[in-house]
Amino acid sequence: MLKLSNSYRTIGRYTFLTFAALLLFAAASSAQDWIRTGTGLGVERVRLAAADFKPSTSDAKNAELLKTFNDVLWNDLENAGIFDLVSKSFYPLQEPGQPSDVNFSAWNSPPPNTSMLAFGNLGAASGKVTVQGWLYDVKNQASPQVLGKQYADNATGDAVRVIAHRFADEIIFRLGGGVQGIAETKIYFISERTGHKEVWMMDYDGANQQQLTRAGSISLSPRISPDGSRLAFSSINKGGWEIMMYSFDLNRMVAFPRFGGMNLSPSWSPDGKLAFSSSRNGYPNIWVIDGSGGNSRRLTSDKGPDVSPTWNRKTGSQIAFVSGRTGLPQIYTMESDGTNLQRITDQGYAVSPNWSPNGQFLTFSWERKYGPGEPGSNDIYLMDVASKQWVQLTHDAGRNDFPCWSPDGRHIVFQSHRSGSDQIWSMLADGTNVKQLTFASSNTQPNWSWK
Amino acid sequence: MAAATNFDIYSEHAQLRRPLAWSFGLHVAFAAFCVLYAISLQGFRKNSWGSGGTGDAMGATLVSTIPLPANPEQTTNVLATESKGLSKSEPAVQEKEPEAIPIPDKNTKTKLKPAPVKSATQRKPEPEPAESNQIPYGEGGPVSGPYTMTAGGAKGGFGFTGSGGDFGSQFAWYVQAVQRKVTENWLKYEVDPRISDAKRVYLTFDIARDGHPSNVEVEQSSGVPSLDQSAVRALQRIDTFGSLPSTYSGSKVSVEFWFDYKR
Repeated sequence: MLKLSNSYRTIGRYTFLTFAALLLFAAASSAQDWIRTGTGLGVERVRLAAADFKPSTSDAKNAELLKTFNDVLWNDLENAGIFDLVSKSFYPLQEPGQPSDVNFSAWNSPPPNTSMLAFGNLGAASGKVTVQGWLYDVKNQASPQVLGKQYADNATGDAVRVIAHRFADEIIFRLGGGVQGIAETKIYFISERTGHKEVWMMDYDGANQQQLTRAGSISLSPRISPDGSRLAFSSINKGGWEIMMYSFDLNRMVAFPRFGGMNLSPSWSPDGKLAFSSSRNGYPNIWVIDGSGGNSRRLTSDKGPDVSPTWNRKTGSQIAFVSGRTGLPQIYTMESDGTNLQRITDQGYAVSPNWSPNGQFLTFSWERKYGPGEPGSNDIYLMDVASKQWVQLTHDAGRNDFPCWSPDGRHIVFQSHRSGSDQIWSMLADGTNVKQLTFASSNTQPNWSWK
Repeated sequence: MAAATNFDIYSEHAQLRRPLAWSFGLHVAFAAFCVLYAISLQGFRKNSWGSGGTGDAMGATLVSTIPLPANPEQTTNVLATESKGLSKSEPAVQEKEPEAIPIPDKNTKTKLKPAPVKSATQRKPEPEPAESNQIPYGEGGPVSGPYTMTAGGAKGGFGFTGSGGDFGSQFAWYVQAVQRKVTENWLKYEVDPRISDAKRVYLTFDIARDGHPSNVEVEQSSGVPSLDQSAVRALQRIDTFGSLPSTYSGSKVSVEFWFDYKR
């Protein structure tokens, strides 16, 4: 035991020296590690007030529907990450329900001092609900209206929730510089709550969790197609690990070719091709097939193992993947034809890359100092692909893995063990506003829909 | 009764003698083994005494990995808020040493000091420039946390001209969205790190009905090629600003956007 710790000591000394040299090098090459992520955060957020909607009829259902609507709208706006929401305690006593009720001077001066105001009314009548919503620029009295919308649907909580999501998305789209909101997006994940690892889906805020597959075996790495019509995942069956396909048009599993060997971690390109890791030729390498399963070709040819490919979601011309060819897993990028291979992590244990929708950033899980006795654990990192600058997003919060971008590029969903079990969490792409989405059993490997 | 008790105790002593001997023997053997083992180990690693090394305990290094915010600068005013003002702290009072009276030396010749030459071009002492950015104690900016992600000094301005009337005042929210989006997409690390300050660079571009920027041109260069390039790239990174307001009648708006760079 003493001899063992002695050898650790020498190893520790060497790693310390290397690390110190790396630090010096990093300090010399770039003065700062914290890059601007440029994903819509931090630069003069819009100050927005969201007044509670008013009842427009005297139906008994109004109170319950209004509560759902106001809560969902507030949460969506808060989660958007581009607003500075004015706390409701600052609002004037007379909150408007109609454009004629808006008292501009009460809103555009302190205490609320807001520049934008969302307000409206909701009314249920004979099983139907009508919602009118407005967005006003209260600092511009001459032409204040930015947005005016009317929605009608059945008077149920779910329908009102969808209306609130849509209205929030309209506001986010207008004020967020033309980026579609994510309030109606879905997250697909693996849950063990039935006793087997099955594919589940939920709304982006954790609501409406429902089971998709009932294979009774182990399913992993669900990946929704860009058009949202199909879901690819890997599952173990008699022949081993194979790529499986679920169709949302048919609401059932559909046939997909079997390749033999171990087939893992499928990933969709923006134009509907699939990259995955297959050991059909002996070593686990990256392969690409068409969305139908045909026309397969191999991209990497080393001993690997190469796993977890992810496409550049904007161009579809690059693939990042994890390879253990030098020992510990590291992240590499290559063109989609397998050329121009580059290693982009220099140390530690790096897995689960995911490419941002604007093609500029990679997020991945990285344990930068891997080894016994080293501090730290797997954390989520963000890397600017062009400059190779990175920034750490999670700090001192258990094991974090499987990050995945939201379609607006402002959020990241990931799996974290910080609560004592593996659950799904989301955060803004600068690491703030961390929220837990799942609570039951064990939930892993989240994948955010493309739109 | 008493004799029987004595006899019992005696017999127990007799029973304990052998185990006690074993115990003593084994203790001695173990102590000897420990001493021998320590000596043999010392022989293996001769230079480990006093050689320092990094140590096995990781507890000591843990603190440096936690991103603690830096301590705010000390201000002399105890009533100051947490935010650091930009005023200088009062200089410490320097105590003057009592002047030493030189003891006259007989042997040294006194040198004549040359009279100060007054030149015609000699400058008058300039007054100290007043610092324009002084903020009184306690009235500094907001407390800076560890997550400040604002691009310091990243400012931009713009002028909108459209054919449909007074765009800027009618759709102020759209103008602000454009400003935010350009600022977000301007990556300052693309600028040559040796540049600390540069002239303003002006860009012009058009925003089409669907919100797509086009015809990006440098109207007035800053003189720093990398800064001009970073500004153009910021625009190239943007797919859309969101479609123009539906109540706007024109087909496009032209934008002049300036970038101020200061590191």
